[in-house]
Amino acid sequence: MSETHPTTETNDIELRSAIDRSLRHPVMFFFTSGALWLAVAIVFGLIASAKKHAPQFLDTFSWFDAGKIDAAHMSALIYGWGCSAAFGIIIWLMSRLSRKECTSAGIILLAGHIWHIGVLIGIVCILDGRLSSGIGLMEFPNAVWIILLFAYVLITVWSLVQFQVRDAGHVYVSQWYLLAALLWFPWIMVTAYLFVFAFDGNPLMVAAIAAWFKNGLFLLFFLPTALASAYYLAPKVTGRPVYSYNLALFGFWSLAFLGPWAGMERLMGAPIPQFLPYVGAAAMVLILVPAIAVGVNILKTILGHDDVVAQSPSLRFTVSGIVLFMVFGVLSFGLHTVTVMKMTQFSYTGYGLDILAIYGVFSLCAFGAIYFIVPRITRREWLSRRFINWHFFLSVYGVASIVICAIVGGVIQGQGMEDLSQPFATMAERSDSYGWGITLAWGFMLIANFFFCVHLLLMWARLGRRSSHPTLFQRHHSENPHGPEGEIDNIGSATA
Amino acid sequence: MLASFGLPWLFAVVLPFAKMRSLDPVEYEEGGEVSGVYTPKRDGRITEGSRIYGQEGCYQCHTQLIRPTYAGWDVHRDEWAGLRVSADNSEDTRRETLATDFQDEEIAHVGISRLGPDLSNFGRRIDFYLKKGEYTPEEWVLLHLYNPRGLANYLDDQRVPEKSTCPSKGGMFDEVPTYRAGDDALPLATPDGLAVVPNDRARALASYLLSLKKDTLRNPLPKALNFNPEAPQAE
Repeated sequence: MSETHPTTETNDIELRSAIDRSLRHPVMFFFTSGALWLAVAIVFGLIASAKKHAPQFLDTFSWFDAGKIDAAHMSALIYGWGCSAAFGIIIWLMSRLSRKECTSAGIILLAGHIWHIGVLIGIVCILDGRLSSGIGLMEFPNAVWIILLFAYVLITVWSLVQFQVRDAGHVYVSQWYLLAALLWFPWIMVTAYLFVFAFDGNPLMVAAIAAWFKNGLFLLFFLPTALASAYYLAPKVTGRPVYSYNLALFGFWSLAFLGPWAGMERLMGAPIPQFLPYVGAAAMVLILVPAIAVGVNILKTILGHDDVVAQSPSLRFTVSGIVLFMVFGVLSFGLHTVTVMKMTQFSYTGYGLDILAIYGVFSLCAFGAIYFIVPRITRREWLSRRFINWHFFLSVYGVASIVICAIVGGVIQGQGMEDLSQPFATMAERSDSYGWGITLAWGFMLIANFFFCVHLLLMWARLGRRSSHPTLFQRHHSENPHGPEGEIDNIGSATA
Repeated sequence: MLASFGLPWLFAVVLPFAKMRSLDPVEYEEGGEVSGVYTPKRDGRITEGSRIYGQEGCYQCHTQLIRPTYAGWDVHRDEWAGLRVSADNSEDTRRETLATDFQDEEIAHVGISRLGPDLSNFGRRIDFYLKKGEYTPEEWVLLHLYNPRGLANYLDDQRVPEKSTCPSKGGMFDEVPTYRAGDDALPLATPDGLAVVPNDRARALASYLLSLKKDTLRNPLPKALNFNPEAPQAE
């Protein structure tokens, strides 16, 4: 199928079906296991948040002690759900865009199991407390990182191969991001592992590098994966090319240049080389630039297709994720100036930004991708429009509530901390009500994820609708945003 | 691509790590004479206790960082940075956190949030306030770990203990028959025949917490490290 042999439409459909078929088991495994981890992460988040204002909650179970449960919550969210969903998206998208069938589904599936066993061991060690590393932001025990890295290579190396052996031709915007994510992830992970666990260094630099790793995971792995999915879905579902190729190029490179510097602003004021926190804060401030570039580009691409956004679950989730990325850019811009960081450095605010990044930006884009990919690989349509709708609204309102409570609560808490006329206790009490808000919002998220999880598991069991009509938010629409009816997605341009 | 990631990797990660790995010793200098090298003194079960501190997730709600004033007012929070001059204390021992403060620990527990107070000088505070108390410092810390809401507070203007949101670390204590507890039993009112005994992890953590005395009381700083030098005395 090189340029000299242009594919006919039928060949094209067959190729896409073959790709989908070849990836069905690994991709479904990643999505369903990810969704289950997400449920676990949300339950942990709920417990962790409740313990901040009601310390006696589940007091008798030492496995759920505050502190340990916070670490388990973030680890389950990042490595259980986030990475798993990202792997599913990456391997499917890379296969589709490189137009290569996956020939190693068995190994990927096996490696996926190894990954999840690694995460499970890590979480159990964190909750038990005696075997975890005790390194803040990298709490999994030493050996688990090796397992994860090993599994990662086995899961993703095939995508790199597919990209390498693709037929010559256009490299899609999505592919830049996928390729970057694929290469950045092992680089930051190996670096963090070596400097934190293997080499002997100043404990402060260990803390700084762990913080750099945590930020790197979002900016250099989750975010590129989410953007790859958005740059694929927005043109695909609306049937229009990306608004501006140059803007896409600019958005990509600005992220690539800024991302690796960020992270050490978490150690502002610590006795490490003084430029490090400043450079980190500057990079976080400037994240607004790629946020605007990407946001404008995606929104301009779908402009004028409001009806499609309203109808298509995948596009609605994706667009919300991209809008939240712009919100993240603005908040990051405002919250990383030196005057504000004085107040917010050690408050709820950081948690708010983390959740906005991982749940707001990445996860919403990932949900969009999942609602798009799953019907194609299972050859079944989603069962319930209502389930998707509930999932969407509860997720968006849930994440918005968490972010607002955490950021506003954090700033108020920080103001109290800096106000020396107030005793420290007043500050701590001030943030209590915001803690309640966060707990409540995690409750909403739990319900949202219940709908998502059940729906996805039903699809996994191949109980989806046998129909050629995609599940959309409105019935009886005149035009199908996924292309003409009669064939699931396999007709229509894949311009990205 | 290589440059965009390689440069930050080199300049923000590798080189600072290498540079911080071996810090130059700082000398005490009085009147041009070098009288020794600054060596931070710490005693207690530092490495083990610090790991337990991390494993139990204390860093989620407690920091160990006294920031310079450009980054926050930590130095001026009561007893966070050390002791200020008062009726009970003649010397101002407050100082910012130094790069040598986390010696013998695997990671500097800088911390994520401050739902609880900074612990840089936790040991100092306990020593200072419990001078005439009914408990020894170790007993107080163990009782606090066992039930943070069951103790009279040592600091009046901090949160009264009933309101503390600090988790109880009950999992680090065992209930044993009194005859087996010996001297290890915590001074607690317990049901007849039973005593609460801290396990080894609790003792290591308590020892580490009591070692947190990062002020200048035992470790006067050389001039080069002291960012708050005393005002010159009038002749």
